[in-house]
Amino acid sequence: MLKKEEPLDPVVAFRYPRVITYKHSLGYQSKFAHALKMGRIIATKCPIDGRCTVPPRIVCPMHHVRQTEWVDQGQRGKLITAFKINFPMFDSRTGELKFWQNPIVAIELEGGARMDGWCAETDTSKLKEGMLLEAVWRPPEERQGRADDILYWKPV
Amino acid sequence: MTAERIAIVGVGQTVHKSKRTDVNTAELCAEAVEAALADAKLTMKDIDCVILGSFEPADGYSGPDKWIVPEIGAVGKAGFEMQNVGTTGGVVCATGFNMAASGLFQNVLCVAWQKMDEAAGAFGRGGGGANEYWTGQFPMSPITNFARRTYDYMTRSKCTEEHLAMVRVKQNQCALRNKHAQLKLPDLTVEKVMNDTLLAWPIRRLHMCPTTAGSAAIIICPEKRAKKVTNKPVWVEDWFTCHQGGALTMAEDPQASTLGYACRKIYKRCGITDPKKQINAWEVYEPASTAELRWIEEVGLAEDYKAWKLFEEGKVGIEKEIPFNPSGGVTATNPIGCTPVVRVVEASLQVRGDAEEHQVPGTINRALATAYGGQGENVVFLLKKTL
Repeated sequence: MLKKEEPLDPVVAFRYPRVITYKHSLGYQSKFAHALKMGRIIATKCPIDGRCTVPPRIVCPMHHVRQTEWVDQGQRGKLITAFKINFPMFDSRTGELKFWQNPIVAIELEGGARMDGWCAETDTSKLKEGMLLEAVWRPPEERQGRADDILYWKPV
Repeated sequence: MTAERIAIVGVGQTVHKSKRTDVNTAELCAEAVEAALADAKLTMKDIDCVILGSFEPADGYSGPDKWIVPEIGAVGKAGFEMQNVGTTGGVVCATGFNMAASGLFQNVLCVAWQKMDEAAGAFGRGGGGANEYWTGQFPMSPITNFARRTYDYMTRSKCTEEHLAMVRVKQNQCALRNKHAQLKLPDLTVEKVMNDTLLAWPIRRLHMCPTTAGSAAIIICPEKRAKKVTNKPVWVEDWFTCHQGGALTMAEDPQASTLGYACRKIYKRCGITDPKKQINAWEVYEPASTAELRWIEEVGLAEDYKAWKLFEEGKVGIEKEIPFNPSGGVTATNPIGCTPVVRVVEASLQVRGDAEEHQVPGTINRALATAYGGQGENVVFLLKKTL
């Protein structure tokens, strides 16, 4: 059960619900978002050590050089960590307080980059470090270039 | 031009509570400022620079300095507001130290606050810090951050849930002796921690820091002025701000943190070769009890992934071999953006020998305090009894 808001004495405190819509420009990340809509995960690659990063970065944070090469990361990856949230938590995109059924996983992709995702397997005892997972995408017409274009990662 | 040597000449903090509906945010700050001024035996007239800040989204005020500066009686003073999530108090102190060390100001007041009883939900917003477009799409928060860290720590170290609970019990034993601490649980046992509500495995409710309404303040002077103001100056030997932000997200490395990097930098500059011998008290910002294990390793008190053995052997505590977070730390008290200032206040009290019931025995020649925020950003402060 989610807690109801407590009544306030208007002389002692005031409630100020704010609704603000933000529109953030994606810049160089647009290329990555466009690839997601096409059902592909692409990463930027550091010209010094070859490290691939998702989400992409225009500059390697460790070597301070421009990253111009983009590398396809494939559709599969190895599980690094997994955890399930057992309490209602805010969806930071909407401000909605809700329960999250699917575990959040960190995955090392075939292309070498690491990223977050949701997992299809809700029993975390069945999730083992190093196990192979595969991306399951939304239908193309529903994709918006966001993380949840990948519905979840399914054990292979 | 060389930097001035500087000292903390006054410290103050409120009693930290989950709710302070009796005061507004500015009044809460004023309590800490008055305490710091009284401790230094100064008045606001003496102050020539004010640095202040909170984690703004967790308060809901935009540009709160416009309101709080007049309310603490500091109109006309030089200074500005800082903002950096949980690390805010760390950058407030570091900026205050820079201002005093510049020689441009003689009495610098640093104040930070958080009134989390007014917008507790904002704390759970999380996620966006590293990359609003990507990590902002996942329900990330300190709880999930430390669930992932701890899962990975347990895998690498082979420690058990019992060891995690031992850390929490130790922290509570310290908090019970601190009159300013918020969360004090008289009968807490390892079993109770292990049976507490599971938030995100292996993090249970008791492993996480509480939400707190509180404020803390310090006053800093250059050397000559400090010696006139007090006979108990706490010398600021060194400080280092190390940001990580989107450079390393948790998915890339679940143990990503800049604490070890920052410590190595400071130790080299100050000739610290044996932290256990050369630093006598530690106030390290641990948002979850389980973080304390990794932080003990990162500051150089244990080998990587071996700190849990210290708890098994009972070596961590106020009167023990490793006096880590004698105040009870952040799992007892967490006015988030203000928490790093609380760490500096507590470390200063240890150096002065004024920490009362939770004072670490013996002379505290050096103490180390830190700030933590986001997914692994740190500010490290090294405080010293004598120049």
